[in-house]
Amino acid sequence: MFWILFGFPLVCLFLCFAIKSNKQLDMLVFAHSILTLSVAILAYIKGAQIIRMDDLGLFVFIITSVLYFAVALYRFGGEAHKELKAYRIHSMFLIIFVSAMTAVSLSRDLGLIWIFVEATTLASAMLITFDHNKSSLEAAWKYLFICSVGIALAFVGILMLVIAQNDPASLHLGVLMQKAPELSPFWVKMSFVFMLVGFGTKIGLAPLHFWLPDAHSEAPAPISALLSGALLNTALLPILRMGKLMRQCQLEHISNTVFQIIGLLSIFVATVFILKTKNFKRLLAYSSIENMGIILLAFGSGAFAHYAGYLHILGHSLIKAAFFLTAGNIISLYHSKYHKDVCGLLMKHTPSGWIWLIAFAMIIGIPPSPLFISEFMIAAALLKSGSYIQLCLLFGMLIIIAYGIGKISFKMCLGSDVSAQKLSPQKVIAPAWLLIMAAILGLWLPQF
Amino acid sequence: MIEILVISFGLSLLFASVTNMLKSLIRILVMQGLILFLITVLKTTHINWLSFSFIALETLIFKAIIIPWFIMDTIKKSNTRRETEPSVSNFFSLALMSLIFVFGFGLAMLSGRWSTKLFPLEFGVAFAAMIKGIFIIIANKKLISHLIGYLILENGIFLLALSAGSHLPYIVNLGVSLDILISILLAVLFINRIKSTFDDADSPGLLKED
Repeated sequence: MFWILFGFPLVCLFLCFAIKSNKQLDMLVFAHSILTLSVAILAYIKGAQIIRMDDLGLFVFIITSVLYFAVALYRFGGEAHKELKAYRIHSMFLIIFVSAMTAVSLSRDLGLIWIFVEATTLASAMLITFDHNKSSLEAAWKYLFICSVGIALAFVGILMLVIAQNDPASLHLGVLMQKAPELSPFWVKMSFVFMLVGFGTKIGLAPLHFWLPDAHSEAPAPISALLSGALLNTALLPILRMGKLMRQCQLEHISNTVFQIIGLLSIFVATVFILKTKNFKRLLAYSSIENMGIILLAFGSGAFAHYAGYLHILGHSLIKAAFFLTAGNIISLYHSKYHKDVCGLLMKHTPSGWIWLIAFAMIIGIPPSPLFISEFMIAAALLKSGSYIQLCLLFGMLIIIAYGIGKISFKMCLGSDVSAQKLSPQKVIAPAWLLIMAAILGLWLPQF
Repeated sequence: MIEILVISFGLSLLFASVTNMLKSLIRILVMQGLILFLITVLKTTHINWLSFSFIALETLIFKAIIIPWFIMDTIKKSNTRRETEPSVSNFFSLALMSLIFVFGFGLAMLSGRWSTKLFPLEFGVAFAAMIKGIFIIIANKKLISHLIGYLILENGIFLLALSAGSHLPYIVNLGVSLDILISILLAVLFINRIKSTFDDADSPGLLKED
């Protein structure tokens, strides 16, 4: 199973060179996505051990594979007019990108995780520049550069973890957990801070978030969906693993405080920019920063809120991916990313209009969204621990964000537009499927 | 001997604070590359010769030759102005660098109590190089200066990697080679194309929000 998971993409990469049409490339990517999803489902049923993953890795891998399947379905046959050579490179990097994310979920050695996170940066930078225009180049440059600096700092964190140990040093998480009592607390704390800043850059946590809105808004819609729904979780994984190590070292009071501060700061930054942005894809990107902040806040609010954190990761990924895919529909209908150019979406293309509105309702946490449950549980955890200031700040900002996204979403969907247009069915099925899954998970809460 | 090399590395950082010429910064990169090569040769003799020669050659060829040459070539081809145009004065930069050193050594002294594996001098200088790299990235407008800042940051990390373990774990080696790969990719993919897309390779246009 393990070899299929990484052998098949390798075969796909070679096959890409032999392929002579865009449609065949789409079929190949689709086949890869089906295989990835099948492995994920099988691993869920039979236990994570069959692909040598731990439960946390499997959790992130399942989300990635579901999103990849939806994205592969969405882009099927949609880019027939693109030049074959450019599209081939794009498809190859998409396969590499997903494989690198899978490898991050699979790895339990921090050194390997670091290398694969770096590989996801390289592959996704190529995906962002697909359109080859000035702004996508700007975005890719910013993304690559800032994330490289971040990843370099994460590496310093890993080195500090080596310093924290007595010989023989190891970066395997299992070994580190066993060694936790004898690790030097000073260096573990330093290492945690560096890794949080380093990998946090990749998640778009404030104050190193400013590449994220550009990259997520300039990438083609299916790539934005993967960047926001899957890559952010993948980069969150090492931070969660470090959080576990901090708990094992009895240093959780420090990690909790840092998580809460950075989480609230990220939500604050998102709140400010959501109110002033004019581009609806950037709006979604800022919403991702906000949700990452909420997730971090959940993991910083004690063991009771950890379930909420995992549920929020799951819900946010599904809903945000659906949101970004629908944004792709809107761009192909109106040829603009600015919400002032979009009006009467419900009349122009009714299904996209409804999906947009439902996704909006679910992202702000209206039931049956899983985000309702997660935010409710975070509130309960904050109340329980007596963190009233954090609670007030959180919900104050969430209300402003709901207003910001809602104002723009309603303005885009309502109004009149006489020229109704059609889109191919998969452009509706893919995001609708993700939203249905999110709603089901919000009603029948999964056990983690 | 290693101490002298590390001190020269630290001096190169001070020199980087007083120069405004891109050429001098590139000379500093070459010098740091050579120093790191020598430290690698002196410190990592106990690992097997294949691994040893890979690390040593990689340090020499990439850090001291290929990357500086490539940046120099890019500057020549793109007719970029030869000055860094920093947004802070040299005096301020030098004063801050001295403070960074004080902080780095302070941290090293503090950490020396925790771990016997660490050489405070190396840690202090490596930490200062990392901060200096980030400072160059923040204080300059040119993309090429950002790249140079990133490489100084990377050199600092490499020195820390040498300082952190008496033996180099393979993962450190892989990490460094991947960092080098990314520097090349950054340069090849972006500098040339951004130059052709934009009027000049300055970054203020890239840093706007919304």
